[in-house]
Amino acid sequence: MGSLARYIALRAALIVPSVLILYTIVFVVLRVIPGDPVLAVLGTKSVPPEELERIRERLGLDKPLYQQYIEYLMGVLRLDFGESMVYTGRPVWNDIADRFPATLELAVFGFLASVVLGLASGVAAVKGRGPIRALANFYAVTGYTLFIPWIGLILIYVFAVNPILPFRLPVGGRISPEVGLREVTGLYIVDSIITGNIPALIDVLAHLVLPSVTLGIVLGSAYARLVRSHLREVLASEIVAGYRARGIPEILLLRHALRNTMVPIVTYMGLQFAILLGGAVLTETTFSWPGLGTLLLERIELRDYTAIQGVVIFFAFMIGLVSLVVDVIYALLDPRIRY
Amino acid sequence: MAQKFNARLAIAAAVVLIIILAAGFYLFAGQGGEQAAQAPTVVIGVTDSVTELDPATSYDFFTWEVLSNVMAGLVTYDPDTGEIVGDLATGWEAREGGKVWVFTLRPDAKFADGTPCTAQDVVRSIKRVMTIGGDPSWLVTEFVEDVRAIDDYTVEFRLKQPVGYFLAVVATIPYHPVHPNYPDNEPAPDATWGGCGPYKISEFKRGEYIVLEPNPYYYGEKPKNGKVIIKFYESSQALRAALEAGDIDVAWRTLNPADIRDLQDRGYNVKEAPGLFIRYIVVKVDAPPTDRKEVRQALAAAIDRQELADRVFQGTMEPLYSMVPSGLWAHYPAFKDKYGEGANIDLAVQLLRSVGYDENNKLKVELWYTPTHYGDTEAQLAAVIKEQWEATGLIEVTLKSSEWGQYVEQLSQGQFMLSLLGWYPDYLDPDNFLTPFLLSTANTWTGTGYVNPQVDELLQQAMTETDQETRAQLYKQVQEILAEDVPYIPLLQGKLYVVLGPNVVNVEISPLQFLIYSSIEVTG
Repeated sequence: MGSLARYIALRAALIVPSVLILYTIVFVVLRVIPGDPVLAVLGTKSVPPEELERIRERLGLDKPLYQQYIEYLMGVLRLDFGESMVYTGRPVWNDIADRFPATLELAVFGFLASVVLGLASGVAAVKGRGPIRALANFYAVTGYTLFIPWIGLILIYVFAVNPILPFRLPVGGRISPEVGLREVTGLYIVDSIITGNIPALIDVLAHLVLPSVTLGIVLGSAYARLVRSHLREVLASEIVAGYRARGIPEILLLRHALRNTMVPIVTYMGLQFAILLGGAVLTETTFSWPGLGTLLLERIELRDYTAIQGVVIFFAFMIGLVSLVVDVIYALLDPRIRY
Repeated sequence: MAQKFNARLAIAAAVVLIIILAAGFYLFAGQGGEQAAQAPTVVIGVTDSVTELDPATSYDFFTWEVLSNVMAGLVTYDPDTGEIVGDLATGWEAREGGKVWVFTLRPDAKFADGTPCTAQDVVRSIKRVMTIGGDPSWLVTEFVEDVRAIDDYTVEFRLKQPVGYFLAVVATIPYHPVHPNYPDNEPAPDATWGGCGPYKISEFKRGEYIVLEPNPYYYGEKPKNGKVIIKFYESSQALRAALEAGDIDVAWRTLNPADIRDLQDRGYNVKEAPGLFIRYIVVKVDAPPTDRKEVRQALAAAIDRQELADRVFQGTMEPLYSMVPSGLWAHYPAFKDKYGEGANIDLAVQLLRSVGYDENNKLKVELWYTPTHYGDTEAQLAAVIKEQWEATGLIEVTLKSSEWGQYVEQLSQGQFMLSLLGWYPDYLDPDNFLTPFLLSTANTWTGTGYVNPQVDELLQQAMTETDQETRAQLYKQVQEILAEDVPYIPLLQGKLYVVLGPNVVNVEISPLQFLIYSSIEVTG
């Protein structure tokens, strides 16, 4: 295991340069594109021009670029992500801390939904019968082309506005204020469990259903296609033919074949999960989910330099972390991988 | 391994399914019981967000609305007459020709925890705005030289120069006193201590919701509801769906024009109020071809505002013939008088021909717009204007767009020949619809390049004048010059729409366009 530890340490160390490169790119791009945070917020109000200059000074925008670059970086090393340039005096870290739990919750549940849906329909597309097989194939091919706001609105109308089920799901948001959840971690599911607030737990889960299912439907089809093609390939291989000739039951074969298809799929899953941690912008917008994706979008429009930089650096860390975990899983899943 | 993995997956799926079903039954069973037991709570849905819950730093419409319901100012607007009336102040007096203003406060004002609100609180809060120097602080520092408490219930403002409309400025949020807990020299963007208005903030979850409960010590009329919850939605579609699903009682800012009409057709009670939001085109007057007055006048003449209002906004906006919106006291429809009501194609053609344009030598113009900042109707608005101008047969229009952050910079640098913009006033006075656009030292942000010494003089004069009748005369002259010089083409004026759920009885909107939460009445 010594070599695995070394492998992990090396992979972890590699996160640092990638974060640095990303920060540099974002820093440069933000300064190159026209517009600045002061103009974006106050540019079309009757604020006197000298006042705009004073606010620019207060935000440090009058300093030379290299100085802004280094100062922000030094701050990040002390885990200080700076203060928002449009929300006076509010630390960027507070925004990330507000939004990340929402993103994480949606990422986990959306991810689970996509995996369940994807694996099931992938297998069904190969081994299913009649209409089920056709449906699974149809989904595998078309699912990814669905536009999230569209499918989201349809689900909202079917399950929230004119519910076909005996109960009604919420249109959007994470929680109803009425359930009185005491916030501990910001992850409402965890919070409601540790504070023993069952109505809140149910309310939070109800809010999660539609966004998770929407994400699951769209993202799951990618897994379905991957599983379908790999499974076909493996099942058609000579070794499986050999097993089959020896009378090994089909269900057992499928199990082994599935494990063989898992390696590329786990890689894809890791990637997908990492992307989800960056916030599923369209899903967040459709279901008014207060996650990182909408935060970033809003701040880009307002040119909130510090907030954008902070969020992007945070993403880079998370993605680095997730790919590290994926590499480890990958190594454990496939004994041929050496580190 | 694979076996275990699949089994686990199946169990996980089963657990999730069971939880979802249980949740469903709970919601189904719970819905009926809860409603009857609770005091009347009003749930308002918006697509806006609360930025900073601090009068020293917040500078956006919706946060000001929330603060205006939580805090009380020295003066306010009477919702029925639109006149400025006392709120914390029981009386006031302008001295030294409008350079010194003295306000007498009511003795019974209290913050939500029972702390009395005195003249010292007013002074401390306003000084705080000046010290912190946030985005809206210019509303204080531009006008106020010094503010002091003469005694516990008397506040004196000394201004830099006489300001005729100082009361309208004092009615803005930066002048509202805040609870002593707010730190004197740093902003408190998440603070919930509030002021001495009708409500207190009982919970704020950024990006999710804010909960307001009545301030038990409020001196005025008690709110007509027991609690207000404001939920934040990301899109107008979601806002509409939330109303139809019953998640909210009131759908406030901002629904799509088409959705408002559709909800109305479906029997929803839609309350309409005149708005102060204006839309206009900025015309660059210091570069060809729009440096010729005839060209600018022709462009103004060819616009059919009613068509814009009907086709693009389905009647949710109305034609505007001046920069001062109708409903405000100095409004004078100068463009209607000069160019007529609809599209005056004959006049436009005549003007264009007079400066040498014809079918073979068309006037080529660029019209800029920004695709999302003013809602998704913007591209269509630009397209219809293009159509109207090209209907003269002598104009060729190129449409161009850039996203907001960039748009504002290009605008202030004067890179646009013609550009679509919108305006919401900082304070409710004709000055705020004219000075920022026409005064040559104040209008650099629009990039128009318009300088007219006569207008400058009229505006300065109107600013220091205290007599409303005289001011109205001065502003009329300014508006006439505006229609003659056309550095801006006013287009439309917004109307406000609140769509009410079936259980909402009454809603009032203040002259500043804020929803008055305490006026919302619901049946239990």
